[in-house]
Amino acid sequence: MDDMEDTTIFSTLKSFKSLISGPDHSLLETEPAYGRSDLQKLYTKRVELEEAAERVRSHTSLLQLTQEKQQMELSHKRARIELEKEAHSSSRDLQREIDRNRELLLKIRRLEEKEEKANQALNEQMENNKALKRNLEELHKKANEKDRKLTEADQMISELKDETRRLNQKIQIQESKFSTQNLEIQALQEQLDVQRKKYKDVSQRYQNLQSSHSISTESELKMKELERRLALQEQDSVIVRNMKSEMVRLPELEREIKRLREENAFLRETKENNSLLKEETEGLRKKLERVERVMEEKLKAELEKEKLEQELQAWENIGQAAGLNIRKPEDLSREVIQIQQRELNLKQQNYTLNSSIRSVEKARAELLPEIAQMRAKAQEEQKKRENQDSLVRRMQKRVLLLTKERDGMRAILESYDSELATSEYSPQLMFRVKEAEDMLQKVQAHNTEMETQLSKAQEEAGTFKLKVQMVTAELEALNEQQVSNAEKNTLATAEEVSSLRQKIEELEAERQRLEEQNNILEMRLERHNLQGDYDPVKTKVIHLQMNPTSIAKQQHADEVEQLRLECQLLRDRIRKIEAGGGVTTDDTTLIIPPSQEILDLRKQMESAELKNQRLKEVFQKKIQEFRTACYVLTGYQIDITVENQYRLTSVYAEHMEDSLLFKSTGPVGSGSMQLLETDFSRTLTGLVDLHLFHQKSIPVFLSAVTIELFSRQTVT
Amino acid sequence: MSKTLKGITLKGSAELVAEFFSFGINSILYQRGIYPAETFTRVTQYDMSLHLTTDAKLKSYLTNVISQLKEWLFDCTVQKLVVVITCLETNEVLERWQFDIECEKTAKESSAPREKSIKAIQEEIRSVIRQITATVTFLPLLETACAFDLLIYTDKDLEVPEQWEESGPQLIDQSEEVRLRSFTTSIHKVNSMVAYKRTNSM
Repeated sequence: MDDMEDTTIFSTLKSFKSLISGPDHSLLETEPAYGRSDLQKLYTKRVELEEAAERVRSHTSLLQLTQEKQQMELSHKRARIELEKEAHSSSRDLQREIDRNRELLLKIRRLEEKEEKANQALNEQMENNKALKRNLEELHKKANEKDRKLTEADQMISELKDETRRLNQKIQIQESKFSTQNLEIQALQEQLDVQRKKYKDVSQRYQNLQSSHSISTESELKMKELERRLALQEQDSVIVRNMKSEMVRLPELEREIKRLREENAFLRETKENNSLLKEETEGLRKKLERVERVMEEKLKAELEKEKLEQELQAWENIGQAAGLNIRKPEDLSREVIQIQQRELNLKQQNYTLNSSIRSVEKARAELLPEIAQMRAKAQEEQKKRENQDSLVRRMQKRVLLLTKERDGMRAILESYDSELATSEYSPQLMFRVKEAEDMLQKVQAHNTEMETQLSKAQEEAGTFKLKVQMVTAELEALNEQQVSNAEKNTLATAEEVSSLRQKIEELEAERQRLEEQNNILEMRLERHNLQGDYDPVKTKVIHLQMNPTSIAKQQHADEVEQLRLECQLLRDRIRKIEAGGGVTTDDTTLIIPPSQEILDLRKQMESAELKNQRLKEVFQKKIQEFRTACYVLTGYQIDITVENQYRLTSVYAEHMEDSLLFKSTGPVGSGSMQLLETDFSRTLTGLVDLHLFHQKSIPVFLSAVTIELFSRQTVT
Repeated sequence: MSKTLKGITLKGSAELVAEFFSFGINSILYQRGIYPAETFTRVTQYDMSLHLTTDAKLKSYLTNVISQLKEWLFDCTVQKLVVVITCLETNEVLERWQFDIECEKTAKESSAPREKSIKAIQEEIRSVIRQITATVTFLPLLETACAFDLLIYTDKDLEVPEQWEESGPQLIDQSEEVRLRSFTTSIHKVNSMVAYKRTNSM
């Protein structure tokens, strides 16, 4: 814009200059000189006008330009604002985009992580798979190995079998070898015998050697001994030589001994002298010590003597100073005794004075309350007097008032009298008089009231004063009593003290008693509490109505009731049974149902009876069969008539009564029988003799009898 | 639940005490043979093995009483709980197990829990139950058939609920008393004691 403005300004300047130059040229060419001043003026005017116009134009252009500039600025600002807004929005979009970007990146990362994890899991799975495959392979390998090992083992077994065969062969070979070796052994044994003999020879020789060896050792020992003895003897010889040399020195030694003995004696003497001298010196030393001690004592005694002399002089001076004419200590003692006597006298006086003082004080103490009483009385009297004075004064006042009233009344009466003459103002005056009288009466009443009040007050004041005075008197008396008590005899205080102590002891004893009682009561309370006691005022005891004890009691009672009823019924039944004498099951009201046991037992019994029955029948049949068989086969019917007696009846018996009787003897089951006499047996004595006595065989006898009877029957 | 918190509230204390009574009464019934031993099963409580009845009637009776007792413990209106053992034949009271309950009334006003660890309380309860089991050694044998009853001593002004009635204290004449251990939850204190009829042979 400025450039444009400058260019416009420059352009305008140029045009202006061109204008100026143009008209100048034109002016210079055409116009003469005299016209120049008008032209110049016109020109200058024009120039000025043009300049002004130019200025105006430039102003306007400036203004326009400024306006445009402002507009431009405004638009610029608006554009900037819009741009800023756009920038904000774009930045927000950008941020949103960035956030979205971040989120997406996070998602991407998470997905990537998941992918990685999945990959890892996949890898792990793969690895697991691989591991499993490897395991499988290993297992396969192991199986293969095992197979291989099995085959190897089979091979080993076959090999071992071969080996066993080989070993067997070896054994056989060894056995053969063994036999050969046995032969060798025998040969060797023979050699051994030979060797033994040689050994014996050798041993003998050895023994000989040993004996010789022992002999040699003994001889050696002897040699050693001898050598030792030799050595000892050499030593002895040496010693002997030494002894000899010593022996040479002997006389010299004797001489020395003599000399020493002499010296010894001399020394002993000197020793005795020494001891004597020592004793003397000790004695002298002791003496010296004693003398020194004595000297010291002497000095001390002299000092004491001086002191005593001084004291004596002092005592003598005392006597002179006191002026008591003392020369000897007896005088002094006399004086002392005198002084003591004087002292005793004075003490006695003192005691008497004290007792008198005490009595005086007692009297005083007794007098004090009297004094107090007297004072009180005096005060009462004084008060009474004062009351009397006051009464007198009151009376005097009343008298004055009455006199005044009287004067007034007199005046009124005189006025009445005077006025009665006039008798004009009488009703008014009467009225006034009445009023005055009323007033007077009121005033009098008031007065009397006041006087009574005053008298009461005075009486009260008097009584208070009396009380105060009595109290002060009592206080003074107490103070004096206290003071006198302090100076009194100690017995009174001791009495009080002892009485107080007694009280204290009594109280203590009572306290202890009460404490013991308290303890006992507490223990009782504790005991009761333990037992379950309670205070009915503060506590109550409750329980559920349906509690186990009540239920149990109820059940118990019911049971007892039931049992009693049962008992009753059973007793009735028993009575009826005993009376009836038979089993009565129909008239009892209580039917005890048959228990299962009874039914079972009944069934068992029935079955047992049936069994018995059947067994009996079977036995019957069997025995019948057996008897018929016996009869048929042996030809005899055997009956047991009596215990241990058997009756035999033959098939071929001629008569029905023909029978043989046998008796069983000996223990049961032993089978030894004896024949008993019957009619039939008498007819068979020959057979009996033959078969029973001689042959001792019952079956033969019986068969003989059968044959006999048969022969008899057939023959006939 | 007061059992997991460190402090003891009034409600928690009432529960603990009611639980103790439930197990204690079961132990007494088992130890004294009031009910046959085969009707009891073993449960673990307070780190020890305790007996609990399986009889349905007895169970319902006990839960009834204990639940009512819990309410009264919460109101601090109960003073004693007594287990009375009576002989059925002679109707005499043979044994009395009495538990005195002292309640801190101030715990009702303030609701702040008291400092006492559950473990310490359980220790104390354990020692009390052990002592109950041990006392059986010197108590005389119950040879006859017996039944038991639960009595509760409460404040005089308490409203007696339905199904409950007043009764006498059912004291033993000529009794010997033994005081046992006590335990406290810092809100309720329970003292135990047993009274038994003196046997003439001693």
